Amino acid sequence: MADINTFQTITQALEAAPGDRSFVTMWVDEDEHEELTFGEFRGRARAQAGFLREHGVSSGDRVVIIMPQSIGIMETFAGAMLLGAVPAILAYPNFKIEPAKYRSGLAGVTANLKAKAVVVDDEFPEELLGHVALSDGSKLLRTGAHIVAEPLDDIAEFSPARESLAFIQHSAGTTGLQKGVALTHAAVLTQIQHLATALQIDGASDRIYSWLPLYHDMGLIACFMLPMVCHVPVVMQSPLDWVVHPETMPQVITDYRCTLAWLPNFAFQFVPRHTPRSQWSRYDLSSVRALINCSEPVRASSMHEFQQAFGSAGLKRCALQSSYAMAENVFAVTQSGVVDSAGLRQIWADAAPFRSEHVISRIREGTPGALSFMSSGRLLPNHEIRIVSDCGSVLDDGSVGEILIKSDCLFQGYYNRPDLTAEATVDGWYRTGDLGFLFEGELFVVGRKKDLLIVGGENLYPQDVEEIVAAHPDIHDGRVVAMGIYNPELGTEDVVVVAEVERKEVLACAEEIAAQIRSQVVAALGVAVRTIFLKPPRWIVKSTAGKPARSATCEKLLLEHAELNCHYRETNA
Amino acid sequence: MTPEAQQMREHIAQLVRKPSLSIDENTPLVSSGLIDSMALVDLLLKLEDLTRMRIPPGKVQPKDMDTIALMFATAQRVGKPRK
Repeated sequence: MADINTFQTITQALEAAPGDRSFVTMWVDEDEHEELTFGEFRGRARAQAGFLREHGVSSGDRVVIIMPQSIGIMETFAGAMLLGAVPAILAYPNFKIEPAKYRSGLAGVTANLKAKAVVVDDEFPEELLGHVALSDGSKLLRTGAHIVAEPLDDIAEFSPARESLAFIQHSAGTTGLQKGVALTHAAVLTQIQHLATALQIDGASDRIYSWLPLYHDMGLIACFMLPMVCHVPVVMQSPLDWVVHPETMPQVITDYRCTLAWLPNFAFQFVPRHTPRSQWSRYDLSSVRALINCSEPVRASSMHEFQQAFGSAGLKRCALQSSYAMAENVFAVTQSGVVDSAGLRQIWADAAPFRSEHVISRIREGTPGALSFMSSGRLLPNHEIRIVSDCGSVLDDGSVGEILIKSDCLFQGYYNRPDLTAEATVDGWYRTGDLGFLFEGELFVVGRKKDLLIVGGENLYPQDVEEIVAAHPDIHDGRVVAMGIYNPELGTEDVVVVAEVERKEVLACAEEIAAQIRSQVVAALGVAVRTIFLKPPRWIVKSTAGKPARSATCEKLLLEHAELNCHYRETNA
Repeated sequence: MTPEAQQMREHIAQLVRKPSLSIDENTPLVSSGLIDSMALVDLLLKLEDLTRMRIPPGKVQPKDMDTIALMFATAQRVGKPRK
């Protein structure tokens, strides 16, 4: 593999790839898959670049791409970069995304980007086109294999500077509030250099497996940019195909002898639970070097479940790895030891000091009151982490606080949103909003972003749920708290809402009110509320500022409803 | 209601943990908030089972799964016969 440091841009790395090596295989089912070599992919990307140029796209222009998971979307993305344009992939509408939520998100994001072109595939639903915000001079383009265009051959002419923007990736979050993370070629190449070294990537022997969506950092960076720059073959599935048939993951890994994959936490239990037990040992996962859990936090039970299921399929225990990653840092901040590994580090700490003083006091496994924490690994080179308290002071190892990061591949800012950028950064440090601690050089992430609910891999702001609930005429405005309670059966959080009614009398029709609220929440946000607790006036605990105190209210609810307790793991510490 | 639609109805009642729930072929499920996107995956699988077809999820929109009648119509429209 060529030295990544010698490349000025991501597309230069693509140009340097061996033309006859397999790049991407799109696996649909046993009978349907398409494979392209690096040479073939280059040709198609140039055709897309030519197509975009003919439609007036030039260097620096933003290009929004909304296409299903396919090789085609990768060609368009690479084609835009070849022109020096700045592509951004947005999620494609599908049956898992509620139309109302999708439409408002799409309109907000495309307006903020002021894109020169919005590129969709031929089957993009007509009824959603009205929600693509087109600014003056921007165009809607339909692309596909059929396009006729003069391919862009004079590539060098368009090659941008290393410090110019390469693309924009959108952070997870309520779609309307999605932030466009602006990344330079330099930042992306630097991140890939660090990651390739940590993982000892070898294009000649590695093969990546992925079902991860390309509009998300795990899919875009780890499973598209990294293989393109490091010349590694990748076998890709659509996330939808995978979620409906999760057992295709061990099958594809077996068939293609894949060595690397990145997964969110829930997949580690979702796959074994949806793969017939009788099939477990029929797969061969011995080729896998690293299956990297990129969620925060990494849950020991999920990793254990996967190992238990597929140990008999030859899965090496030391292949289970973890990483702490976010779009704002291109991707990974930490990576567990793939090379020297005895497996992921797990430590146990006393629950009492953890909850009351936010410190880690180690105790032996199995001691009553022991909490388990899984390591997210060590910092990549040129990365720094600070753990800070609520008042901003830097904490020692073993103390829990907000994670701040600084690195040589940190983002430039949120595109067109200096206000959000200023909020998220302080003196060159990025405030992740995640809670964690450092211990013997490793990072342990203990909670999700403050207040954020993580439902089925999607981040949900409780404020958005609360706003909808509070709009109900029988609910006291502003007296609503939405929270996430971990559901071990699903490996994700359930949304639980507690709300005060205007008048005690209406509690007689609590069921009816709850049903109305539930349908309003699902219509707007696409998630079902697991339980709605309606309480009499003045039940919710308020802060000194008169606002509902989220964590205190949550504690009160757990006291009153012991049935929730067994599933609750304190993350508001 | 066909026996398959009947089975789907029982499956949904079980899924939402309300055995007494009265739904028919035309009861809105998604738009009423009874089920959400996580559950749709489960329903799509059940639909594949009941129809003995492979249904490409990329060709399915939430509105296609809003009622039991729509689910079976969707399977007819986009489903591929299983081997």
